Amino acid sequence: MDDLNTVGDLARDALAAYEDLLSLAEDIEDEWTYVNDLAAAWQERVGELINEQGSESATALEEAAISRAVDEIGRISDPHRAIDWLSTFPQIVLVTLGQRS
Amino acid sequence: MRFQDAAQDARAITYAAIQAEPVVAQTAGLLADATQAQLVLARAVMNGETLDPDGWRTMFPTLFGPTAEPSDRDRSEAILAASLAIADRGDQTRNQLRGALVESLTSELLGRRVGATDVRRERRILFDGVRAEIHPYDVTVERSGAAEAYDCKWGARGINADVLHQLEDARANAEAEDEVLRVALVVFDAELSCRVRLERQTAPHDRSGLVALESMGSLSG
Repeated sequence: MDDLNTVGDLARDALAAYEDLLSLAEDIEDEWTYVNDLAAAWQERVGELINEQGSESATALEEAAISRAVDEIGRISDPHRAIDWLSTFPQIVLVTLGQRS
Repeated sequence: MRFQDAAQDARAITYAAIQAEPVVAQTAGLLADATQAQLVLARAVMNGETLDPDGWRTMFPTLFGPTAEPSDRDRSEAILAASLAIADRGDQTRNQLRGALVESLTSELLGRRVGATDVRRERRILFDGVRAEIHPYDVTVERSGAAEAYDCKWGARGINADVLHQLEDARANAEAEDEVLRVALVVFDAELSCRVRLERQTAPHDRSGLVALESMGSLSG
């Protein structure tokens, strides 16, 4: 994460990790459409954050927070839990980067 | 329209023990006064893989960083500890505790608005000439002329046709008896995720309310 120094960089890094989470969640075939609709909705929301605040400098605490959140979803191996995190992970990203003081 | 205790079958007895675990009421009490960011923290920890508190503190700098107000930070620490206590259980128990937590939080918040004595748990709603639903409503407010019924879910994925039909049927049956029954889903998840889930549902839900993480406080006022 050494080169990540804007809100946009961190948000895009989060979205890249989110793709892997989506792939895992897609293993639940009955929920395939739902998980893709859900992911699209949250990707759009994070995209709005990038448009609005993407050029702002990120702090070291924010970099560490997003890195830790990415690490957390990287630990998930259960596709059912991945569906839970398709909703939870972007909320963490938005709380961290979207509510900057 | 009248209310009745649910049958005390094996499932109900087992679940009552879950509901009675002290960590459920303790966590609900903390979350009743939580900010939205603190609610997201609780959801993340109780969904999480890691039990390392420092990792969670790192993940939420707005709650645990140097700019956090000391009183908010204290509550965040208490929520983190309580959430980890629930997360540190086997998957099945964790799932049950999370469900019981949403019900307890709903009861706590409703009690602040209507008084605790009018708030009940696990109740069936009976209507003349209508076969009663087997499954009870998670939380009810039993006041003449202003009754309410809630079904509580940990996540948006819990929203399904059965739940929506049960709520709408109760509302419609009450209306047929010239009674007022407000019905709503309480979901411990973001409204966006709930809306995405609801868009895919063909079961009627236009007249059912939705209380999500962002609007949890609306239950109390």
